[in-house]
Amino acid sequence: MIENLLQNLDTLLLIVFGISALVAAALMLVLRHPMQVAMALISTMVFLGGIYGLLGVHFIAAFQVLIYVSAVMVFMVYVIMLIDVRDPSFTRRFSTLLVPGVVGGILLLAVLAYALWHGLRAPAHTTVSFGLQQFSIAFLDEYWLHFELTSVLLVAAVVAALAVIKVTRKKHG
Amino acid sequence: MDKVQFLLLIAVALFALGLLGVIVRRNLLVMLMCMELMLNGVNLSLVTFAQQTGTAAGAVLVFLIFVVAAAEIAIAIPIVLVLVRRKRTLEADAFADLKG
Amino acid sequence: MAHLLTLIVVLPLIGAVLNGALATRLRDAPFGRTFVTVVGCGLPILSFLLVVRGFMELLATDGTPLIETAYTWARIGGRTFDVSFYFDRLSAVMALIVTGVGSVIHIYSIGYMHDDKSYARFFAYLNLFLFFMLSLVLGRSLLVLFVGWEGVGLASYLLIGFWFDDPANAAAGKKAFITNRIGDAGFLLGMFLLYWAFGTLDMDKINAAFTSGAAPVISASLAGVLLFIGASGKSAQIPLHVWLPDAMAGPTPVSALIHAATMVTAGVYLVARMSGLYSQAPEASAVVAVIGAATAFFAATIAVTQTDIKKVLAYSTVSQLGFMFVALGVGAYGVGIFHVYTHAFFKACLFLGAGSVIHALGGEQDIRKMGGLARKIPVTFWTFAIATAAIAGIPPLAGFWSKDEILWNAFASSAGGSPVLWAVMAATALMTAFYMFRLLWLVFLTPSRMEPKVAHHVHESPLSMTGVLMILAALSAVGGFVALPHFLEPLLPMAKTPEALHHYETPLLILSVAIALAGLAGAWFVYGSGTERSARLATRFASLHRTLTNKYFVDEAYDRFIGRPLVWLSDRVFLNLGDRVLLDGSLNGLARLARRTAGVFSRVETGNLHRYAFFVLVGSIAMLAWSLRHG
Repeated sequence: MIENLLQNLDTLLLIVFGISALVAAALMLVLRHPMQVAMALISTMVFLGGIYGLLGVHFIAAFQVLIYVSAVMVFMVYVIMLIDVRDPSFTRRFSTLLVPGVVGGILLLAVLAYALWHGLRAPAHTTVSFGLQQFSIAFLDEYWLHFELTSVLLVAAVVAALAVIKVTRKKHG
Repeated sequence: MDKVQFLLLIAVALFALGLLGVIVRRNLLVMLMCMELMLNGVNLSLVTFAQQTGTAAGAVLVFLIFVVAAAEIAIAIPIVLVLVRRKRTLEADAFADLKG
Repeated sequence: MAHLLTLIVVLPLIGAVLNGALATRLRDAPFGRTFVTVVGCGLPILSFLLVVRGFMELLATDGTPLIETAYTWARIGGRTFDVSFYFDRLSAVMALIVTGVGSVIHIYSIGYMHDDKSYARFFAYLNLFLFFMLSLVLGRSLLVLFVGWEGVGLASYLLIGFWFDDPANAAAGKKAFITNRIGDAGFLLGMFLLYWAFGTLDMDKINAAFTSGAAPVISASLAGVLLFIGASGKSAQIPLHVWLPDAMAGPTPVSALIHAATMVTAGVYLVARMSGLYSQAPEASAVVAVIGAATAFFAATIAVTQTDIKKVLAYSTVSQLGFMFVALGVGAYGVGIFHVYTHAFFKACLFLGAGSVIHALGGEQDIRKMGGLARKIPVTFWTFAIATAAIAGIPPLAGFWSKDEILWNAFASSAGGSPVLWAVMAATALMTAFYMFRLLWLVFLTPSRMEPKVAHHVHESPLSMTGVLMILAALSAVGGFVALPHFLEPLLPMAKTPEALHHYETPLLILSVAIALAGLAGAWFVYGSGTERSARLATRFASLHRTLTNKYFVDEAYDRFIGRPLVWLSDRVFLNLGDRVLLDGSLNGLARLARRTAGVFSRVETGNLHRYAFFVLVGSIAMLAWSLRHG
């Protein structure tokens, strides 16, 4: 029984994490306070991290939590705390395009699900999960160009940030 | 429904929910967070495919998306801050200056 | 001699270019005036000598035409258009007149334009005219002739409006050019018709095609009438005669050369040159004769009442041109050219004499303020008198011979001659004699009506002017003894006259002389003692006198019935409706449409972020659906 459960634990946990992530994401759309929304997002991300871990790509799970949760979302939470959120967007959460949006969303989901259902081939299943070593070799060997381009992009982002600061500083003396 | 299909369905659903969130929510910060949700959905699908085919390409791309998402947030949030300082509100409808 | 004809044509052009290009620089240069004179007069004289040389060659070969191709102008789709020159008896006569009379008038201009500030420009334009006129008479094809035709029109415009500071002169120049252009429309249509029918514009070939006896491809009369429309524009026949009297606004040497001796005879030359065509076109010839006769009579009636010395001569020219066309119309082509030849001498002499009078009186042109000049400027008087007698038709002066031939052919030619035609021309000859002697009396022989200031300064013209007058007067006297129609006969056959009428020849001859003398007597009677008798006649026939003085109000009629409606049409229809409403409106309308469409489309940019995101959603759904459907 325990082995059966353990064998199926992977799948069970996968299902649990998946459904939870989905629920948390759905919650994001309905909660009122941005802080609550941020919490929902954090939980989605953690659950996703869990899924990554279950899939065997541990380093990506680590990155997920490290970068997304602890850097991005923390930044987000700080900003939410900084800004006074009691403005019209708080009392009226939803924009004028609620109904069309929902309809469109359902349509999108339907189309994509349909595409998935009929488009996927039988998986060439290799349960081989690759490790950090393989990843890093591939990263710096085959995909070095992507790496360099991304670093250029980051430099551009830094410059843009500096420019924004300079401009605002000039404007406000 | 096997593992891959299930996960891809989750990923697709996350993406759709994110896009929907951008459309229906009024608060700027919430819109940003929904965009993050979209990125996460994409990440999940990439990881699933990477794991399915066994190559490292998917994983590399996921890593790069992490980096870009972080940088994007690092820039987007200050922009929002500056904008909010101007208009004194977080409502997306207030930022319609480029109309017409 | 190689390139003889090309040289003849091009030498005056060189003079025009040199004087024209250097005109302003030469004005103040020390030898500038001498340079202009030497180049401006020397080159035409050189041209004349070359023409004489060519004439000798022609006589030596008994009239075989000299053909010279200067260069190929254009090659369009297998058809070539050459610039080639043609020298036969007719061209020789015309070229001799043009260069000969032209050269002496150039010499006359040295004295006449001496004090003018645009001395060099005048000679440049005169030489330019000579170039185009020679191109006209020596051209082999209608195309080269037309180039010359247009060019003399241009030169005429430039020279009529020579003193352009006065807008009236410029207007006269414009009138001349535009009236010519109307005639040229007919000319062009005739040329197109001939080219379409024969595939060539060479006049000798066209004439041969018509006289060869083969069935005509096109109606010769149609082509003939079209070409005659052009000729009547250039030679001032009704209804396109209105420009010639106004052209008297130009300097007198211009009036003498262009509007008496040479350019206006271009129409006569054209019809004579195309004699092969006209001899096969009885309807066209009839039109020519009728218009010629009407013009001659009509202009003569006007000349009787004119008071400007140059206007009298202008209407006289129109009338004499009518004579020439009558001759051409009844098939006596050689006789028409004979009259061109004699007319060149005496009309040029008359005009230059008038110029001498004007010069002597310091610019006065109204004959009511002249008189008594015979003693004061004798050379001018005697040359003028000889030329007057010549135009009146007093034997044995030149005019008598040519005019008598015309009257005879008008009566007896089997190609259109009739007693009615003769009667009209005889009446015109009577009036010609009358008004010319009227002019002579009023200007020279009646007691002086000059203003004292003017009378004090009357002086004879310099030798450069009087010398030319003497030459031309001598030619008017003896020029008629050259039997030109017989010289031209191998080329332009004489008109056939039925035997039955031959016994009328001598009586008609005597009648011509009688008419001339009657005109002389009439003028002596009315004007012999001054203007009182004519003034009484004028009051007795007041309305007729008014009509004639106002040239039958033709200009006013043209203005009211043609000019003003055209201006109205241009303004109301083409400017306001066509240009402003249609063209501008459609352009502006297109712009407005673009703007409105853009305005409609720009409604997409609401500035609403949610809406943009929604569009992304919709777009991606559409794309996905489409790609699903089409794999």
